[in-house]
Amino acid sequence: MTVTTRRHTTFSEVMAAPGDRDCRLELDVAVPEVLHPLADVRADLRGRVRIPGLADDPHASGSLHIAPLTRRRIRYRLTFTALDGRVLHLDGWKSIDLRHPVRSMTTLPATVTDGAGTVVMEVLLRFHLRRDLWPMLRTFRLPSPTRTSRDRLAPRWNGEPGRLEVWYTTLTDPATGTGFWVHHELVAPAGGGTPYLHGWAAAFPPAEAPAFTRFGPHDWQPPRPGHVLETPGAIATADRLTGSAGDIDWDLRAETASGPLFTFPRWAWDTGLLPGAQIVPQPAARFHGTIRHGGRAVRLEGAPGATAHIYGHGNARRWAWLHADLGGGDVAEVVAAVSTRPGLRRLPPLPFVRLRVEGRDWPGGDTLLAALRLRAEIDLPTWRVWGRIGDHRLRIEVTQPPEATVAVDYADPDGSAAVCRNSERADAHVLLERRSGGRWRPFREWHLFGTAHAEVGGRA
Amino acid sequence: MREQAAGVPQDTAPPRALTATMGALLGIDDPAHARAVATRLDALCAGFPLAARAGLHAGAGLFDAAAVLLTGRRLDRLDAGQRDAVCRVVAARPAVAALVDALKMPALLASGAPGPPSRPAIVRPDPELDCVPAGEWPACGTADAVVIGSGAGGAMVARELARAGLSVVIAEEGRRFGVADFRDRTPAERFGELYRDGGATAALGLPPVLLPLGRAVGGSTLVNSGTCYRPPAQVLERWRRHAGVGLVDRFDDLVPEVERTLRVAEQPMDVLGRNGLLALRGAERLGWQAGPLRRNAPGCGGCCQCAVGCPRNAKNGVHLNALPQACAAGARIVSELRVDRVLVERGRAAGITARRPDGTRVEILSPLVVVAAGATETPPLLRRSGLGGHPHVGRNLALHPAVSLAGRFAEPVESWRGVLQSVGIEQLHGEGILLEATAAPPGMGTFVLPGVGSGLRAEIDGSAHLATLGAMIADAPSGRVHGSGRALLRYRLARRDERTLRAAMCAIGEVLFAAGATEVLTGLARHPRAADMAQLRRIAEQVPPGQLHLAAFHPSGSARMGADARTSPVDAGGRLRGVHGVYVADASVLPSCPTVNPQITIMAMALAIAESVVRDAG
Repeated sequence: MTVTTRRHTTFSEVMAAPGDRDCRLELDVAVPEVLHPLADVRADLRGRVRIPGLADDPHASGSLHIAPLTRRRIRYRLTFTALDGRVLHLDGWKSIDLRHPVRSMTTLPATVTDGAGTVVMEVLLRFHLRRDLWPMLRTFRLPSPTRTSRDRLAPRWNGEPGRLEVWYTTLTDPATGTGFWVHHELVAPAGGGTPYLHGWAAAFPPAEAPAFTRFGPHDWQPPRPGHVLETPGAIATADRLTGSAGDIDWDLRAETASGPLFTFPRWAWDTGLLPGAQIVPQPAARFHGTIRHGGRAVRLEGAPGATAHIYGHGNARRWAWLHADLGGGDVAEVVAAVSTRPGLRRLPPLPFVRLRVEGRDWPGGDTLLAALRLRAEIDLPTWRVWGRIGDHRLRIEVTQPPEATVAVDYADPDGSAAVCRNSERADAHVLLERRSGGRWRPFREWHLFGTAHAEVGGRA
Repeated sequence: MREQAAGVPQDTAPPRALTATMGALLGIDDPAHARAVATRLDALCAGFPLAARAGLHAGAGLFDAAAVLLTGRRLDRLDAGQRDAVCRVVAARPAVAALVDALKMPALLASGAPGPPSRPAIVRPDPELDCVPAGEWPACGTADAVVIGSGAGGAMVARELARAGLSVVIAEEGRRFGVADFRDRTPAERFGELYRDGGATAALGLPPVLLPLGRAVGGSTLVNSGTCYRPPAQVLERWRRHAGVGLVDRFDDLVPEVERTLRVAEQPMDVLGRNGLLALRGAERLGWQAGPLRRNAPGCGGCCQCAVGCPRNAKNGVHLNALPQACAAGARIVSELRVDRVLVERGRAAGITARRPDGTRVEILSPLVVVAAGATETPPLLRRSGLGGHPHVGRNLALHPAVSLAGRFAEPVESWRGVLQSVGIEQLHGEGILLEATAAPPGMGTFVLPGVGSGLRAEIDGSAHLATLGAMIADAPSGRVHGSGRALLRYRLARRDERTLRAAMCAIGEVLFAAGATEVLTGLARHPRAADMAQLRRIAEQVPPGQLHLAAFHPSGSARMGADARTSPVDAGGRLRGVHGVYVADASVLPSCPTVNPQITIMAMALAIAESVVRDAG
């Protein structure tokens, strides 16, 4: 991953062939500088190329040369794989005509060629202003220098009292079906007491009662360089987790290829303006190593899982969380919560949803804004989230079997108690529908049976 | 029932005035025949510029109006004698004489009997060309180099760049013609398709100069006479010494290479035709240096149709050699693609933007652009691209103007049987006069038969006894290409060139009389005939320059190359000044009039510039 020292720009755009919305480019653009009209800059391009009958590649990549005034051109170059396995290249550009700025800025003729340079086809794509401008504008971000997953795992706590910071890793061994959960928590008491680290680990073997054990609390010590946290019982770095508590030992190495997933908006994480925020620095990690519990050893080789990071003032009044590994690097992350703040506590749960599907984060815009059109019903054993996001309809239903759920008690920085019921053997159903032909039609759908990671929490 | 003019769509009837004027002007008594000629003329002038088309119809209206004023009846209501009388009255007006002559040229071309297309044996088949029409070319493309124009200059540059390993795209405004096109259609039809503006391009001035320019894949090499003169040593020395063009030092190697490419050889005597033989006879009797021309047409059958595409593929235009060689090396040709602009970004060439015939745009990105659009089209293109800022872009246009006379001989000549341009008489070349025996199919030559009405009809009927001889003069660069869209050409005949032209007329007369001509037709409206040299000299001395009939075929110098940055928009290596990556490689870079048919010179210069491009590209 490229690390830049300047603020840069990211946005997503969709272009489709007039009259054939199935022929489209769905692109994420990462510009290595702040975008401005006089820019002459090459940006990274990733996304999906869909050309009916020819290609449907969600992992297309290439470059975007943005020079609308200096060169009067915005040039798209993408390499993608065709349905028949050929590697194809798309090369096209918007030729900016100042006499027709709108038309020329929204029209992209492009040529698709094969490896030998033979023209396979021509496409004419348009950016649909009415349909796609607002969604695109909502995806515009000017993030500070790119931070890696490693950066996003680093401790946020800066010594302020009344803060809670959590790192938790959940994974499922596909070979044995065993789930493993390790939870590290830094609590800085509101009254100015000594901050402390504690945590717990749980194993969820199939058809057995979960094994659960706690470690700590220990007084907080600043971690050594390269470490995320360190207690006598557990050590976490960006790519390694080791620890021992009760009859559970773990020694895990994480591999991650994708960037952080922002369940809460990036600004909320960076500014701390919300009472709490959660992100997933390693949303689709693969774990290797060993877990021992109850005298048994489970050897992991590429077990899918994730490591999340929470920072805030404490636990919510009520909440539900889901991490669903949808396969192929796709994940769904949901946090539905009711704040403890006066006034806010009377509101229904606010669901923050972010999916990463075929390399693209969805919804592409602000998840807080998206949450306004979603509803959540938090209950046990089944909780739900549903509603509209853009022109899609979303429904998520999670069932946590009581026999595969462990209840964990927490104490917030202000001393209030909370309880959370965690399961790594939950079922989940994620359904995404799109309006077409006057009715809702399934667009994407996933069923997870016993591999979803979920929790439901509330006040004790 | 209307007569069906062969090969001409009959969608609409020609205007009544045009039909009547054709009948009167050409002395055609049969109304159906007159209508057929008018129909052909109407179709022919569809490709003319708007002003020329309007002028043609205005001229026709003038005759009709004159008939109404003089007789009270429209022209087509008069009998043959009355029509003749009206024509004579109109043509007698000095102010109208030039207009009548301008009307006669396309009328004579349209009146040429359509006849069955000639189908002589094909010398060689059309070669394989990687050539696609613009409609089949993608809107977005890339290349290492774009060459604008596929004529003599563009073809050679494209070939060399492709051979150097660059991916080359040649953008050509005209369409591709194959030998079948030249066998299945009449010369008049081909004329309208093969030439820019339907062949009605002219440089404005006194006199105006007719300037037919080919427009096709292969450029003017499809329609030139095939004459291949080597660039004269004095001209090259002048370019080297006065313009600082060191590239001419490479000509010793490059000219033979061009001649090999074109398979240049001296024209055998058996197909010269009587027109050429008479020229040789006249020169011999005068003791003047003359001989059959060297041409790029091995296997030429002497059908005299060079000007409308060789129906045997015997004439080696670049579409038969350099372009196939370029394509074999990987170059691609896009035809029917008119280049709007050369794209320039931050002082460097970035490609071209062009239009298909249906108006849709094509862009080809390329860091190298070679402009070879011809001396009349290159300056407007540079201006459209914002590259015409140099004060000498469009200036210094030399035309190599020609005057043509015909001699009447007692025996039949049938000048249209034999090679179109057969014999060169170089006796006066040192004085800037190059005589060439040039014939053309009826109506397609630049020589205008005298008279109107029945008089003109008699001349047409007797044209089998005419031999035509032309003279080109090495002119001063006194023309200019204006405009950034359509080129507007202006040419002011220099005083010295005017004198040379008068001398050239006399020289032609001397050859014709020496060959046995009984009279010489001057082509001048006021003094159409000279019975002897004395009379011809008097006419040549007295004719006002504005009444001269001039045609030119070799425009050059409108973006000339040279070492002096103040006077030469193109540097001595062919690079356009003020921008990186743009080269010019056509006749417009020639520093002065090449004084001979310039095909070899242009191609050799293009080869030298291509070497420069390859060297710069590293």
